[in-house]
Amino acid sequence: MSAPVRGPALGAPARDAGASGVAPVLPAARRTAPAPGRLLVRYGLFLLLAALALGFAVLRPSFASAGNVADMLRSGGISAVMLLGLTFIVAAGEIDVSFMSVAALSTMVVAGLVSSGAGWGLAAAAALGTGLLFGLANGGLVALLGLPALVTTIATGGFAGSVAAAIGKGTSIPLAGSGVLGTVVRAEVGPVPALAVAAAALYAAAWWLQDRTTFGHYVYAMEQNRRALVEAGVPATRLLFILYALSGTLSAGAGVLLAADLSSGQPYVGASYFIDGLTAVLLGGMALKMGKPNVIGTAVGILLLAVLLSGAALLGWTDWQRQIVRGALLIGGVAAVVWTRRSGRAVHESV
Amino acid sequence: MTSPFRPGPRLLRVLAFLVLLALVAGTFQLLVPGYLGAEHLHALLRHMAVQGLAALGLTFVIVVRQFDLSFPGVASLGAMTLGWLIAGEHDVSTAVAGSLAVGFACGLVNGVAVAGFRLPDIVATIATGGVAVGLSYLYSNGTSISDNFFGSGILDFNDARVAGLDMPAAVLLAAAAAAALLLHGTRFGRAFYATGENRVSARFSGVRVRLYVAAAFALSGTLACLATTLLVASSGASNVTVGNQLLMPAYAAVYLGAALFGRASVAATLAGTLLMSAMLDGFTLMAVPYYYSDAIVSLVLVGAIALFDPRTLAAAARLRIPAARPREVLP
Amino acid sequence: MPPLLRMTGIEKRFGPVTALDGVDFTLEAGQIHALLGVNGAGKSTLVKILSGVYTADAGEILLDGAPVALGSPRAAMAAGVAAVQQHPELVPDLSGVENIFLGHEGRRPGLFARIDRTAMQAAAERLLARFPVEIDLDRPVGEMPAVDREIVAVLHALRAEHTRILILDEPTSTLTEREKASLFAMMRALRAAGIAIVYITHRLEEVFEVADSFTVFRGGRNVASFTAAEAEARGVSIPELMLAEKAGELFPPRDGRPEGEAPVLAAENLGLAGCFSGGSFALRRGEILGIFGLVGSGVDELSKALFGALRHDEGRLLVKGRERRFSGPHEALRAGVFLVPGDRRTEGLTLTEDVVFNTTVANLGRASALGLLRFGRNRREAARLARETGLHPPALDRPASAFSGGNQQKIVIAKGLFRDADVYIFTEPTVGVDIGARAKIYGLMRALSRRAGVIVVSSDCDEVHGLADRTLALYKGRPVTAAPNRDGLLAAGIMGRAA
Repeated sequence: MSAPVRGPALGAPARDAGASGVAPVLPAARRTAPAPGRLLVRYGLFLLLAALALGFAVLRPSFASAGNVADMLRSGGISAVMLLGLTFIVAAGEIDVSFMSVAALSTMVVAGLVSSGAGWGLAAAAALGTGLLFGLANGGLVALLGLPALVTTIATGGFAGSVAAAIGKGTSIPLAGSGVLGTVVRAEVGPVPALAVAAAALYAAAWWLQDRTTFGHYVYAMEQNRRALVEAGVPATRLLFILYALSGTLSAGAGVLLAADLSSGQPYVGASYFIDGLTAVLLGGMALKMGKPNVIGTAVGILLLAVLLSGAALLGWTDWQRQIVRGALLIGGVAAVVWTRRSGRAVHESV
Repeated sequence: MTSPFRPGPRLLRVLAFLVLLALVAGTFQLLVPGYLGAEHLHALLRHMAVQGLAALGLTFVIVVRQFDLSFPGVASLGAMTLGWLIAGEHDVSTAVAGSLAVGFACGLVNGVAVAGFRLPDIVATIATGGVAVGLSYLYSNGTSISDNFFGSGILDFNDARVAGLDMPAAVLLAAAAAAALLLHGTRFGRAFYATGENRVSARFSGVRVRLYVAAAFALSGTLACLATTLLVASSGASNVTVGNQLLMPAYAAVYLGAALFGRASVAATLAGTLLMSAMLDGFTLMAVPYYYSDAIVSLVLVGAIALFDPRTLAAAARLRIPAARPREVLP
Repeated sequence: MPPLLRMTGIEKRFGPVTALDGVDFTLEAGQIHALLGVNGAGKSTLVKILSGVYTADAGEILLDGAPVALGSPRAAMAAGVAAVQQHPELVPDLSGVENIFLGHEGRRPGLFARIDRTAMQAAAERLLARFPVEIDLDRPVGEMPAVDREIVAVLHALRAEHTRILILDEPTSTLTEREKASLFAMMRALRAAGIAIVYITHRLEEVFEVADSFTVFRGGRNVASFTAAEAEARGVSIPELMLAEKAGELFPPRDGRPEGEAPVLAAENLGLAGCFSGGSFALRRGEILGIFGLVGSGVDELSKALFGALRHDEGRLLVKGRERRFSGPHEALRAGVFLVPGDRRTEGLTLTEDVVFNTTVANLGRASALGLLRFGRNRREAARLARETGLHPPALDRPASAFSGGNQQKIVIAKGLFRDADVYIFTEPTVGVDIGARAKIYGLMRALSRRAGVIVVSSDCDEVHGLADRTLALYKGRPVTAAPNRDGLLAAGIMGRAA
């Protein structure tokens, strides 16, 4: 019970007791020497990704072909845009299960407008606006009114899904071409799709926001103790509202890209992103930050699932086999995080 | 205190529900003359049976203040198990029992994960639901199963009549009666509510809270599989997507009922289901496409959540004339 | 020159209870001023008014001789009053520095400001230069010992340069002896830096170590103020001042002590790592055993261990002669042990449910036949128990949340009566209970002791002394045998001295 008070001599270079100050403040990743189990959780996902990619490449050389890698990166780039907002929302301790329906709605808005003669620019702007609207609605209901996030976003997601279906009267809307955006989506910078480069740039900016600004700082603090934030005068409600608005807009952005990539509007495309999205975010949370969703983790999670999808297809795995692996990964990952975090801190818990 | 001159809040709530129901029914009767006809009422009850069973199971989970997102996946797995057993020429009662057992087992897995290992309920049930959907492809690689359905007697679950009721309605009624007895008439129901309302004080009162959380998930899985049994019986085939349509209506029914009656209960869930089905069937009768009616379900759900929220309730209570009650004494 | 702070004629009422009845309080710059008094004496309420949490119903607050309105915590902070709560809100994964400057990390305020770690570092060093304390501020506070968390909370409160008054509410309740010494060192450093400290504590043995002036509260009034020198010169007895003559008729008369009967509950060297150890006592039917201990002394844990809500890891626990290791409260209840928990709103009651539900929920076996609830009988039983406990109003359909503290406690007791246990443990039975309901509750406890063994566990020395047939003090997790008089018990409980 009595941990010794750690004097300055132990913690920092020798200094005049009290008069000078504290040891240099290092970024959040320091701490005491981590146990091997924690290290494994922290970097295990990177290893898993490397091992899977290597394994598939050895078993099926076509896995490592330029075309396949570019395909994986392109689809991964779209997922990355869709999941960025969700990453921050889950990191802040809330949830959004409407993101994939908003993306699907966005593909339908684009397709509906383009097929009735509007330009791609206008269509994309309208889709983004729709996404923002859903984000604002979620933010208003969850952050401002304080309604439970899960059921609320189930409902708004359901609404987005039905509007998407209504736009196409229940079916998809094929497009003749994919306009300027199609060129952009299919452009390549050397061997790498431009889309993946753009997503990487977006994630780099998001990483900066996450680790270098008050924004990310408060997101993680909010998950742990929202009252402490409120008492310190941080506008926590506004922060959560912004997160939902961001998630809605980015999901719609991903939908725009998807519409260009598929040259069509797909009202039911969301379903496939639901479990994959949450798996990527939650599994990604294991990487680096011990169970806290973070942008690099999400990126790794997305790549892991893309590799799994492509490699499994090349190996002839069926869809359901992959689905079981994915579900097992998700629950295993969450269990690993819950247990390492629980053992990491002495929690005085009753029987 | 309830004075003899004022109706109690419970009666008021029932009245409000009846008025709402009459409003919905009246509107549709005006729009589609056949709405209140016997033929449509049969269809309504049938429709209500499937949604109602799934919502009943979810009610237990909501009463213990957890979430279950796995029951649509579990229901699909149950339906495929049912189809596979029937196609394998097993007795229909064996097949249904097998399906329910699968639902029970999946629910138990959820319960152990959430109550035993203390994993977060939302993530854990998303994962188990995903695995359940994956497993449902095991039987036939994802194609629908309808072999041997005609001879097996499974269709009786849709076609037969019991005591003047269509079989699906009879199943719902029986399940609802059993659930109501369990939740409102037995010591176990008390324990479910005690667990949900204040877990610490429930534990201090000798309630084994983890057991009841696990039981709620198990009931949810089982009843979701019973719901798809009816669905399979009415469509004459099992397929891997049957569960998908259960999620939203179930949550909408439970939350709508809770908003109407002040808390989640069997009667509230049935009332919520009835209202939802009355609307949805009305739209179907008017040949409104499903995507419009789905949109309405979502909006009803948002409204119900907002109404069910304690803060909304507190705000509404403040509008009432304050009764002479002792103010709470601060320590 | 006017004093730094003067509060005059402060009154505060909560419903029917008067918490402060015309209190005067003066604080000089550079003082460490201890507020002393038993539970409910009014010190916490006064401090909450000073920090802007409550607003006084009447009275005046002068800062430097000028009247101020402290209508909100923010206003109080702007006026230079900072408070550290008993359980400060911190973010466990953030470092000490990050917690101190929570909300002020950026070069400018707002959600999208770049975090300036160099500036935070420099500000932290400035803070430590003003208030020299030995602490490693780079660790996450979740991994810090309790005293460092307290210091972080203090530094957080002091980060604004104009702060002149610091309120510390029971800062030592969870600290060890060594940790306390470093907290006191910090308090002296703050005093040297010109900060006036208002310091609330229950622990009399430590006040002379650090405080230089004192105000004693009793029953919502300030009954005495003096400096340390005056106390020494005049030989002031603080316990005497703290305890009123209120006792007397509040407590029911004692019965004759039972002799010879086998104990219904016995503990032999009972211990729980980090909480208490060496707990040995025996309880017979027909008596009330009192255990006196301050917050953090292990009494709460001890009572929960007897009930199976915590599992002891040393010694033996015997119920009616049989050794037990409860795996949870359900087993303790089955063995005949009932706990009236200290935190009745979270541990004792289901606030949203009605009286019948709450009365019967701890004995669902008796409330049902073949699993089916016996509605009519339960209602009659609840009505009978409501009469027996004097529940007012006896409205069985009303949710537990709608009753006052004393009546909520009566519901918990009714719940215990419905259980028909052999051992009843009451933890802090009258916290938040007004004086009228207290006498009734004490009477109920005495009546219960005629057919069962009763243990009362409390941080209120008067209560334990006035009620119990035999007493025991718990000091830092260890039982101390006390002399059978009140002062002996008080000394044992707050100073660990067997008298």
